[in-house]
Amino acid sequence: MPRLKLPFHGYTVKFSPFYEHRLAVGTSQNFGILGNGRVHILDLAATNISEPLSFDTADGVYDVSWSESNDNLLISGTGDGSVKIWDLAAPPSANPLRSLHEHSREVHSLDYNPVRRDSFISAAWDDTVKLWTLDRPASVRTFKEHAYCVYSAAWNPRHADVFASASGDCTVRVWDVREPASTIIIPGHEFEILTCDWNKYNDCVIATGSVDKSIRVWDVRSYRVPICVMNGHGYAVRKVRFSPHHGSFIASCSYDMSVCCWDYQLEDALVSRYEHHTEFAVGLDMSVLVEGLLASTGWDQLVYVWQHGSDPMAGPPPMMG
Amino acid sequence: MGLFDLVTGGAACAVPGSSSSNPLGALANSLLGSSSKTQERLNELPGTAVTAPSTSLYPGGDNQLSTLPGFENEEQELRRPDAQASEFLRGFRGADHGGFSDAWNEIQRPQVGPRDPALRGAPLPLPYAEFDRVYENGFQSQPQPMLDGPPGMVLSNFLHSFMRSSSTGVPFGPAMLPALGLSERDKLCIRDRSSIMARHFFADKSEEFINAQVNTLLHSLDIDSDFRAKGPIPGRYPELEEYWNESQGAIQPVVHNPANGWINEFSQQKSLHNDSEAWVHMFEQQHGANGWASEFQQEQSQMTSMNQINSANMVAMEQTRMLAHTLSQNNNPKFQNSKFLQFVSKMSRGELIVDDNQIKPAGAFSSVDWAEEYQQQHKGAPTSWANEFTQNELSHGTNGWAKEFSAERELHGSVDDQWVNEFSKLNVNDWAEEFGHQVGKGVAGESSDWLDGYNEYLSEQQVVKQRSNSSRGGYVFSDMNPYVGHPEPLKEGHELFRKGLLSEAVLALEAEVMKNPENAEGWRLLGITHAENDDDQQAIASMMRAHEVDPTNLEVLLALGVSHTNELEQAEALKYLYGWLQHHPKYGTLAPPEQSDSLFFADVAGLFNEAARLSPDDADVHIVLGVLYNLSREFDSAIKSFQNALKLKPRDYSLWNKLGATQANSVQSADALLAYQQALDLKPNYVRAWANMGISFANQGLYEDSIRYYVRALAMNPKADNAWQYLRISLSCASRNDMLEACDSRNLDVLQREFPL
Repeated sequence: MPRLKLPFHGYTVKFSPFYEHRLAVGTSQNFGILGNGRVHILDLAATNISEPLSFDTADGVYDVSWSESNDNLLISGTGDGSVKIWDLAAPPSANPLRSLHEHSREVHSLDYNPVRRDSFISAAWDDTVKLWTLDRPASVRTFKEHAYCVYSAAWNPRHADVFASASGDCTVRVWDVREPASTIIIPGHEFEILTCDWNKYNDCVIATGSVDKSIRVWDVRSYRVPICVMNGHGYAVRKVRFSPHHGSFIASCSYDMSVCCWDYQLEDALVSRYEHHTEFAVGLDMSVLVEGLLASTGWDQLVYVWQHGSDPMAGPPPMMG
Repeated sequence: MGLFDLVTGGAACAVPGSSSSNPLGALANSLLGSSSKTQERLNELPGTAVTAPSTSLYPGGDNQLSTLPGFENEEQELRRPDAQASEFLRGFRGADHGGFSDAWNEIQRPQVGPRDPALRGAPLPLPYAEFDRVYENGFQSQPQPMLDGPPGMVLSNFLHSFMRSSSTGVPFGPAMLPALGLSERDKLCIRDRSSIMARHFFADKSEEFINAQVNTLLHSLDIDSDFRAKGPIPGRYPELEEYWNESQGAIQPVVHNPANGWINEFSQQKSLHNDSEAWVHMFEQQHGANGWASEFQQEQSQMTSMNQINSANMVAMEQTRMLAHTLSQNNNPKFQNSKFLQFVSKMSRGELIVDDNQIKPAGAFSSVDWAEEYQQQHKGAPTSWANEFTQNELSHGTNGWAKEFSAERELHGSVDDQWVNEFSKLNVNDWAEEFGHQVGKGVAGESSDWLDGYNEYLSEQQVVKQRSNSSRGGYVFSDMNPYVGHPEPLKEGHELFRKGLLSEAVLALEAEVMKNPENAEGWRLLGITHAENDDDQQAIASMMRAHEVDPTNLEVLLALGVSHTNELEQAEALKYLYGWLQHHPKYGTLAPPEQSDSLFFADVAGLFNEAARLSPDDADVHIVLGVLYNLSREFDSAIKSFQNALKLKPRDYSLWNKLGATQANSVQSADALLAYQQALDLKPNYVRAWANMGISFANQGLYEDSIRYYVRALAMNPKADNAWQYLRISLSCASRNDMLEACDSRNLDVLQREFPL
């Protein structure tokens, strides 16, 4: 399965919702601690990955998200607090189309609204989540309730106005943008919560990943106790993603350098573990268009794309010499 | 364009008379960079010209895109801070360099001058003052150090003084303010990001450890950790705040330091050498805390002021040890190999420094360089402490004393006598004596020599820096090389290589290139040996050195092209393969030199096809073509090219391996195995071919077989890190988790017994 070496350290990878062969990867120099960043647009072929396009940024790129309405639009969240909008069809001099400076701290997560398709949210280390639409130069609204960095925000797959946010204040909050305040507060873990995602087939189910190494699945209608707790990662869980194709299937990556796949409805929830990364595994995505296709990136500067069940390293490249 | 170009030093950021590696260049970067923000045109967003199915629920939304009410206002708002800053820039451009040297002295004076003697409650000793003067003159006569000197050092010194002076209200050129702003941002980034991230990485560790980790990093980078914009998580970690206050706040005499034993002994030794102490202090003050000098200074300050001051240094030092200790305790090889952890560790040891927006090796002040330089200056010296010191550094590897220290502590608990013994083996006593001796001499009359030497050294460092920038990952020499001192290491290495004793050959060839670093043939052969031994990083590093010495060597160019192809680095690979064509006596005319800046695969492949048409009987052209087609993943063409070459050169085992690798990439594993077997028939100790066979078996799901081949490869070269990684994967795929531990501990005996071939 193809892999690609990047010049900087991988932070995020996202499949295009329009083209099955296309990926965007966000990277940062010096592990995102200091330096530049880059957004890579990658195209998959049978055995290799090519890079038709890339955009440079003055600070590390922590997350990217594809537009759900335009196949050429991509947004990126940067360490300097900016959200940038890129147009793949525009000449380099015209990019970024926009650079939105409102967050005072690192923008750590972006999610494009999959239902309304005109808006997106950004979560940042300034403890806020902001709602944006493409047609406005300023954010529509700022959601400020979290007491510490917000690491992740994700739209509900069914309800156009509902999203969840995960924070270092150890809570997940569920928001309805029509309401003045968050509607649900889940004190989900004893440690910081780094990631959350909604079940794509059950709009009441949310998964969270934490520094406590566990992944927990919650029903927002009765969130006193999690539906299940999945242990298996050796370090903080950096990202969880629900499968677009199977209701109970979850992929996760962690600072233990592994990518794990889970079925939270099985007693033995851990389905598979992939140990292909040699540094922290930070970015992870599942293709909407190709069932079972996974992509991951990490601080070993590699992007892997592989089919679930196959070996991401399959064919560690034999060496000429 | 925009920020990236500016940050990386585009032509537009050049400040007259300065390089972009100085704080002012960096400032200009930031200013021009941020003003370019205002040039960022607001483009109309493309409409919903979606080529893929789209069912936008808000078709009206896109119509408003071109009109952006209120954006102009935001523009204004964004611009305000920049406008202020550009005023500063204009002011700066008008300033002359004399102004800078004044500023420089202003910064340096309070540091070098009365501060330290005051701490010791003694008047300025005369030799010290004299030295001070000589040293100051040196700096006055060339204001360059501030602009071009060891950059990270100067920058951090500069800002440090500035911050101190701004806090004490001492007037300072107002022109410097924005420079602070810039570096503040960088430092803020490092401080905040590392503290937030450390909390995630080290979930298992105590709060103390996490703080120690962050503090060590910040301390070594000279970043104030007094406050954190993003404090600890509110309410969750009361004990953390307690610890934080404790470590940052009140100054406590540190009496219970576990290393007191040796410190006492050392300070006894040192009290005989007051002069040297002063000298070291001054050197330290001039050059900030980095490298060994920093460690030395920390120890010094403990000795001179053990009961009064500097708990901050003590805390940092203790934390450094804690960090080293904990890192060395984690047995997971994956973590031991983690570049990130090495990076943090290097930063905390001051081996990496922050310069502008980049992180660079602190080469200029690393212990080895300095020691070597010092030794060169004093060639006549009877006891070459520097040599011994260097030897020690080398033989203890990069982690050096910290590792050893923690290892010792693990073994002996708090029995510090053991450690003292160990430490004295490092010739500290000799060293201190020698050092005092040298300094005594220097102060008596040779200080100008020293100064000259130092200046010379500074300019050398510039060259070294430039050179090292051009070659990535430097070559790492083996410890304890028995071939050092061998009369003819090149010949010996060649012989060993021919016999297939690759790991031995590596040692002999390393001895050769240590002796003759300008011997391209030595480096080339070393590179080939590493490649056959399945160590591509070292192979590339050697070949880069060979390439530096002899940029036109065809074999070197081809080898670099192949290695970069292996590493999937297309642009680099193309560059070297094109270089091969350019420098080839026969085909050079085909390659227009002006093209070498922007190479496109199709063009280069076209040229080589042309060359192949000119002389179809030249195996080398077919080989390069095969490599090129690997690069473009046109494996069928690549296989044909290699087969053509093999008709001409049937006994070239590396060619058989290339064919096999290509066939494997093209999912023809059975054919690949045959080709590898051919290579191994010709060269039985070809580690790379053994490893490649393992890969092919693994690709066919024959994990047990793959394990046997990996183990065979590793038995021949236990340093083949990739093969260890692949072996681990095959073990878990074959459900041989019982052998994972043997793999992780690299226990070849067990593995070979379990998986004989």
